[in-house]
Amino acid sequence: MTPDTLSALALSIRVALVATLLNAVVGIPLAYVLARRRFRGRGLVDLLVTLPLVLPPTVTGYYLIVLLGRRGWLGGPLYTLTGWSITFTWYAAVVAATVMALPLLVRTARAAIESVDRDLERAAFTLGRPEWRTAIEVTLPLARNGILAGLVLAFARALGEFGATLMLAGNIPGRTTTVPLAIYTAVQTGESGDALVLVAALTALSCVVLVAAGRLGARAT
Amino acid sequence: MKDGEGGERLEVSIVVSLPGFALDVAWTAGDGVAVLFGPSGAGKTLTLQCLAGLMRPAHGRIVVDGRVFFDSASGVDLPPQQRRVGYVFQGYALFPHLTVADNVAFGLRDRPRAARARRAAEVIERLGLGGLERRYPRELSGGQRQRVALGRALAIDPALLLLDEPLSALDAPTRRELRDELRALLTDVGTAAVVVTHDFTEAYRLADRIVVYRDGRVIQAAPRAELLWRPASEDVARIMGIRNIFHGTVLKATPDRIQLRWRGQMLEAVNSPTRAYLPPPGGPIAFFIRPEYVRLIRKDRGAPDPGHHMNLMSGTVVSQADFGTMWTLAIRLDEPGPPAQGEYDLEVEVPRLVHEILELDRDRHWQLSIHRGSIHVLPA
Repeated sequence: MTPDTLSALALSIRVALVATLLNAVVGIPLAYVLARRRFRGRGLVDLLVTLPLVLPPTVTGYYLIVLLGRRGWLGGPLYTLTGWSITFTWYAAVVAATVMALPLLVRTARAAIESVDRDLERAAFTLGRPEWRTAIEVTLPLARNGILAGLVLAFARALGEFGATLMLAGNIPGRTTTVPLAIYTAVQTGESGDALVLVAALTALSCVVLVAAGRLGARAT
Repeated sequence: MKDGEGGERLEVSIVVSLPGFALDVAWTAGDGVAVLFGPSGAGKTLTLQCLAGLMRPAHGRIVVDGRVFFDSASGVDLPPQQRRVGYVFQGYALFPHLTVADNVAFGLRDRPRAARARRAAEVIERLGLGGLERRYPRELSGGQRQRVALGRALAIDPALLLLDEPLSALDAPTRRELRDELRALLTDVGTAAVVVTHDFTEAYRLADRIVVYRDGRVIQAAPRAELLWRPASEDVARIMGIRNIFHGTVLKATPDRIQLRWRGQMLEAVNSPTRAYLPPPGGPIAFFIRPEYVRLIRKDRGAPDPGHHMNLMSGTVVSQADFGTMWTLAIRLDEPGPPAQGEYDLEVEVPRLVHEILELDRDRHWQLSIHRGSIHVLPA
């Protein structure tokens, strides 16, 4: 394996892990709120979270540039203030992977939370637990397998992200070239040996992930 | 534990509006067990949820032992966490990921560790769950689960105990056994309790006071004996599953007696001394005759004596059904015109022994008498 191949693998795993962590932090509370609360704008939040699942990844990537790019809604002021922009850094790859993976976690976790018998939560309320404690002690533990399955799927999605990453982070070898981008580059430049190693690595990882998610999903119901 | 003794402990007066359903009820209960009885979908569980603070009424007032749980007029609405209500859910809602001991101790979190363990052990002991502390709910029988749910609710020394169909998840033999056990436990604990059921036998066995629900309203609230012997209306009688409910015509009504005509017979019924019902002559009247209070007159004892045998009539057994210890006879009166209940007029219940002695299998035609105290008039 060439140094570039190795660094692509290392970067991909790092990006996927961080993106999965962010997914857990953002996605689990989001899934809980969508499953258990009725509030204004709930439909809109649901739509925004789910959209990356159906949009072409390049379109999602385009929106991310509009939002975070050097002249973006958030990225613009940030650049003016600090002279730093997230685009073409590995953070950008993390953001792209997080956004793309979020709907998978939120949808899976939400379904698992919704399937928890509400009487269990009501019982906890009558026994003195406020809602947030009930969520931690009752709802989330009982939805655990569904949530884990969602995290596994999110990790897999983050690992394989291509389009949105390319748009926001670019394809800079050693800095933002993740495995899918490296495969694309290798094939384009005719270095099929490198490509083959990475293809095999990603395929094997995806198989492991799918089996794991399947097992967790089967136990969740 | 008589109704009214020691004053009312529970005052409920609530209005809830949901899409497609409205609950508007007001009732009170004293010491002991109040049973909310009625068909499913009548609003019984919804009432429990309001009592527990899990559902917020549109307006009304809920007071338990002088503590105001909810009062829309003054804006009081205690959250469920502060009401100290022990709730036994339908299906029990035991935490499946916790052991029996942890389920029972769940509501004791705020107490010091030692006190918590002591209280949990006490409750487990009292409910006969010793030895099952480390089991998970899925490893328990239905009866054991019910006891864990009760224990979890009792552990917090509740101000009020709510039980939603506590026996419906059990099979018939366990159900009968636990029904009597539950009654004894509720009496023993002495906490004001509200039990929901749609089974009248269960309601009667468990209750001191029965509140009859229908379509989101209370149609009668009374001590259980009063309900059994004097249902307030035909609706109540039908929900209780009372048989032989008929419609006749009033002949004469006095505070003591009501005379009425039905199927060509002149019948005389006792009027309620405390709550006399005086419908105008010629008007319609509903009444019922309990199947177990109809007398078949023995043919070997001479002619019936009109002074002794009231409301005399005669008819033929058109069909009969064997209920093991009892037989139910369907009797058609010797009167022209369509019978009151399809093929027959009266359902009559006789013990098996009587059925044998009277040779009812062979002998189909009988004279019947019904004491005037066994004809119950139902106010409109």
